[in-house]
Amino acid sequence: MAQHEVEITISRTGEVKVHVKGAKGKACLEYAKWLTEVVGRVKSQQNTNELYEPEVKSRIDLRQDLRVDDGSS
Amino acid sequence: MSTVLILAPVIISNWPAIAVAAAGAASALGFTIKQTAQEAIKQGQQTETEQNVELELAGSEVLAQGLATDQKMVLTKGSMQIVVERDARGRCKVCASGKGQSKAQLKQAAEEFTQKLTQCFIYDKVMRQLKGKSFQVVNEELMQDDSIRIHVRRWVD
Repeated sequence: MAQHEVEITISRTGEVKVHVKGAKGKACLEYAKWLTEVVGRVKSQQNTNELYEPEVKSRIDLRQDLRVDDGSS
Repeated sequence: MSTVLILAPVIISNWPAIAVAAAGAASALGFTIKQTAQEAIKQGQQTETEQNVELELAGSEVLAQGLATDQKMVLTKGSMQIVVERDARGRCKVCASGKGQSKAQLKQAAEEFTQKLTQCFIYDKVMRQLKGKSFQVVNEELMQDDSIRIHVRRWVD
């Protein structure tokens, strides 16, 4: 499971700053779109590298054991 | 970090939701809700000589659904009176008036109220939507500059 966090700051004038954390790629853009529809219209948007990372759906751990045969056996 | 958005608020809603936000703003700024619409109209006729300042909520639209034609909200604090209503074009209008108040004071009061109303409206709407998406509120605080910071979280598969 992934943890998605959003930090929302509503200024005294009603302007809203939204910071989406943890969500990557499409999920992040969906949050941005949804919150824009809730609040009003986009004044500015700043994307960071994490936005462009693929969402992790599954993970496989690979392990390889290395043995050194010194010929003593 | 993923993305940071700055969003400008747009108030498009029916009257009950705007009235709730206006009541919240009134409470936060020390105003009391005074009268019904009929009494407000009568009062308006009596105070024609007072100064008044009208402000329109930028980009607002009060949907006619559930709105009686003369519906408005009248708030008072001392000699200051603020009226919130839907104007003929469907915009949300805030009018400040009061005896012994200068235009500048009334303008400042109307602007302050409009900003607080907008903040309350957006707060209510955002919190409703967050709950609908099963977000849990981790932290919520009122900052020194009167902004509200909300930190929410949810787990997804």
